Amino acid sequence: MSSFNIIGKREPRVDALGKVTGAAKYADDYNLPHQLHGAVKYAEYPHAEILSIDTSEAEKVPGVEAVLTYKDVPGANHFGLIPNIRILADDHTRYLGDVVAVVAAVDRRTAQKAADLIKVKYRELLAVFDPEEALEENAPVIHEGGNEIVHHKVRKGDVAAGFEEADFIIEKTFKTQPIEHAYLEPEAALVYPDEHDGFTVIGCMQNFYTSHKVIAAALGLPLNKVQIIQSTMGGSFGGKDEAATLVAVRAALLAQKTGRPVKMLSTREDSIRQSYKRHAYKLYYKWGCKKDGTIAAMEIKAVADGGAYASMSPFVTWRSVVQATGPYYCPNVKTDVYAAYTNNNFTGAMRGFGSPQVNFAIESMMDELAERVGVSPLQIRLRNAFEDGAETATGQKLTHRVSLKEVLIKAAEASDFERKWREYRSEANRTKTFPKGIGLSCAYRGVSLGAEGVDAASAVVYVQPDGSVTVSAGIIDMGQGARTVMAQIVAEVLGIPLQRIHFLEPDSGRVADSGPTVASRGTIMGGGAAKIAAENVREIMKHTAAVVYSVSPAHLGFRDGKVWDDNGKSSRPLCTFEELTAACYARGKPLFASGVRHVAETNWDEETGQGNAYFTFVYGANVAEVQVDSATGQTELLNFVSVHDVGRAINKATVEGQIYGGVAMGAGYGMMEEFIQENGEAKTINFDEYYILTAMDVPKMKAVIVENPDEHGPFGAKSVGEPAVEMAAPAVTNAIYNATGRRVQNLPANLEEVRLGQKLRRNVQRASVACKIEPK
Amino acid sequence: MNYLRPKNLTELTRTLSDASAATQFVAGGTDVLVESRQPYFSKPQTLIDLSRVDELKSISETNGLIRIGAMATHSEIIAQPLIQRQAPLLAQACAEIGSQQIRNRGTLGGNICNASPCADTVPPLLALDAQVEVLNEQGLRRVAMQEFFVKPYQTVLQKNEVLTAVYFPPLPDGYGSAFYKLGRRKALAISRINMAAVLKTNHHGIIEEVRLAPGSVFPVWKRVAAAERFLTGKKITDQNFMQAGQITAQEMIKISGRRWSTPYKEPVVAALVKRVLLMAAGLEEQ
Repeated sequence: MSSFNIIGKREPRVDALGKVTGAAKYADDYNLPHQLHGAVKYAEYPHAEILSIDTSEAEKVPGVEAVLTYKDVPGANHFGLIPNIRILADDHTRYLGDVVAVVAAVDRRTAQKAADLIKVKYRELLAVFDPEEALEENAPVIHEGGNEIVHHKVRKGDVAAGFEEADFIIEKTFKTQPIEHAYLEPEAALVYPDEHDGFTVIGCMQNFYTSHKVIAAALGLPLNKVQIIQSTMGGSFGGKDEAATLVAVRAALLAQKTGRPVKMLSTREDSIRQSYKRHAYKLYYKWGCKKDGTIAAMEIKAVADGGAYASMSPFVTWRSVVQATGPYYCPNVKTDVYAAYTNNNFTGAMRGFGSPQVNFAIESMMDELAERVGVSPLQIRLRNAFEDGAETATGQKLTHRVSLKEVLIKAAEASDFERKWREYRSEANRTKTFPKGIGLSCAYRGVSLGAEGVDAASAVVYVQPDGSVTVSAGIIDMGQGARTVMAQIVAEVLGIPLQRIHFLEPDSGRVADSGPTVASRGTIMGGGAAKIAAENVREIMKHTAAVVYSVSPAHLGFRDGKVWDDNGKSSRPLCTFEELTAACYARGKPLFASGVRHVAETNWDEETGQGNAYFTFVYGANVAEVQVDSATGQTELLNFVSVHDVGRAINKATVEGQIYGGVAMGAGYGMMEEFIQENGEAKTINFDEYYILTAMDVPKMKAVIVENPDEHGPFGAKSVGEPAVEMAAPAVTNAIYNATGRRVQNLPANLEEVRLGQKLRRNVQRASVACKIEPK
Repeated sequence: MNYLRPKNLTELTRTLSDASAATQFVAGGTDVLVESRQPYFSKPQTLIDLSRVDELKSISETNGLIRIGAMATHSEIIAQPLIQRQAPLLAQACAEIGSQQIRNRGTLGGNICNASPCADTVPPLLALDAQVEVLNEQGLRRVAMQEFFVKPYQTVLQKNEVLTAVYFPPLPDGYGSAFYKLGRRKALAISRINMAAVLKTNHHGIIEEVRLAPGSVFPVWKRVAAAERFLTGKKITDQNFMQAGQITAQEMIKISGRRWSTPYKEPVVAALVKRVLLMAAGLEEQ
């Protein structure tokens, strides 16, 4: 029986009412008098040298206030992890979402009309759209230094010896597609000059600390002259990092030039054309296996399409290399993961971050192994699954509770997996026009950033003189529920009702740089910081109470809106929370404190790929049940079970929301989502052609929450945001296999893939072989 | 740009005299309003909004023919008991269009005149032997559905003509019918392939009459005469239906040649012909 007051409760979202009534203000809802509107001029070739840019006609259009090219950027025009993203294209274009110039005008239509009048002279270059071709010797070079963005390795044991020892080998190639984040709200920003030579940016940036640095550097200003205000966000899923920064910084440059507020807004078409996607991967898996179902060796190679710029490719592929062998014992491992530049849309962070691709391969391989050994998918996983104290492929010994078998068994029980799996693989089922199938998948995931980056987060808690409380953390709420979770954590620590807490959206001057809201670290890091901040405030209150009531601070308890003397024998209320607050202020003790959450040590050796990659891991299992139309290849999702060990659910309803949304997104990745480009040109630029699951396509879902508290999380909480999405696709494709006996090796499992075992593409002459476009 | 909103048929007829190639009719607006935001959209000189012409909205039965006004929305057609009873395949097709919002705005006339090769209401109307009614300055004329389409996105309508209604005989007793849509998802999906069938068998299970209309199969809408001929006088069996499907697929390849999509469409068109015929015959697919 838990002794919590608010932790674990199904509290309603603190921001739900505003979102439902329309009171919530998204980035485009902000407007100012005299504001200008921005428009962009796109690159006209996926790969070309820019010879000249003529803006004279655009400048003559009445109502145009500024036309900017890279020459007009006063500060840094480059940014990124590897700083090669251009705010405005300079010497080259590298994909068709590059922006060559921006215009500010009195209205959007005028700005767009002017942008269309900008004339750019190009010298077209040979382009490359396939990452493996990009890595070949004679490929067109997209960035100085070559097309290889990164090459990560893991080396463990001796794979040659492992294959020698194996009874049989399973070798398969898998392909995954690029996908669009499809956040409901496209990128937007309003930037205005303020009275002290600085600028204020209101926008929907997932990682506003990064945006802050990029904008200040581009404007040539110190950080304290640029203030970022985070608007309510309409989704992000990893997508509003560089993509949203680009929109905001272009607006900022125009605001600086004109001295007026500038609104920059992407339409859906702009958003899909410009923004980065989830990496497409080609995956080569070779396993040496034994008759008993164990795995003696794994040799893995993966090549990721990084597109035009590095973005998060080095980190995304690092997570892939760490997790490429799955949560399974294997003494001999050799893994190589590459990312390469191409002239496609650049690719970067997206919910999952390098795990959905490898999980699709691993979990397909595991089912192949089950088939070869003649046991069920559940039995083969239980045979190979990590247990407490297991050592991973990177040599990390798992010191937390390893709950993989627990989640697998719970998923199987909740879905009647074993019985259905046996029934559906029968000839009687598979020869029907509408065979059914059931598929299992599982995964583990390193929590937070891991050894890929510095990992710390801050929060501030302010108990105001009347006893109401504000909390801010350097973690943003993009719809996942961070506001509610933070408020619950603070309410729990201070023993007051949730309604007394107000979460203030962070801005760049309020909370110290906390890194990005990514990697499922919002609760464990930001929530951890909020807990520490609340505890720091409570300490001040305890010391005051000890003086006022002559009790030991060690015996003070905070609950039910009161302060209690819990001296071990009995409990008695001393005063209300408000009374103690008033007493503190009366004694000159303002109740304001910050908290900083640091993480346990992680380490990594780039050469061997060995090290403690993440300070803790989470475990999950999915089961999908489908019905396949064998005549058309159409797959219907019938039921879905998703089990996750989240450490501790701060809010069960929010955790379930994450799981339901994750299933919809992950199943969509498995079945239909695909960002299609032809010679670098985005073909699916709105939702009439870019298909995501609708409410009609989402199956009946059952979310099962498992709680094994972790010492690193606030109240034991870990993560759920990305785990929820990252293993759904292989559950679906394994179910299709169960129904049809045919394995889907290329995502998505759309009509053609399921019916024919291949994708069909319109015949397009490939530009990387012979590209002859008429000069514009 | 001129915007005209005639209030009745007389006013509408008057506006037709000034209509030119640069005139755009707007019915529900679910195509025009979306297209108008595209960069390639050539702006019309005149928009004629048909939404206030009440004569174009009614659904009725007179002289043994069902008449559906061109401005009847998909939702109105679905809700109409007359259609549910006498032309259920049309109600089914309307129910599978887009989403609730699109069905509330989109009209039968708009769906036909847009002349997309995957329009969902056209196969049922072809299978129902429908005729369309066209208004011009001289008055009304009727055109058989089968003659109405010239090529994808183009109909026989002249610049000063507008579609006013659709007529078809109600399905007599003993006629089975069905509509089937294959999309990439269950809502808001453009048809990959769609299919309508009307089927009359005698009590020996012999096919007396069959009308088969596939969508997204031929560049210009038509029924599959060869498959219909093959089936007439034959028994309703899986095998006969499958063969009708193969005839349809071969007809598709004969007309359009082998294209990038043929490896998928060839077997699937055949299978869906069989499926829609089984549905029309009231039989379960095994």
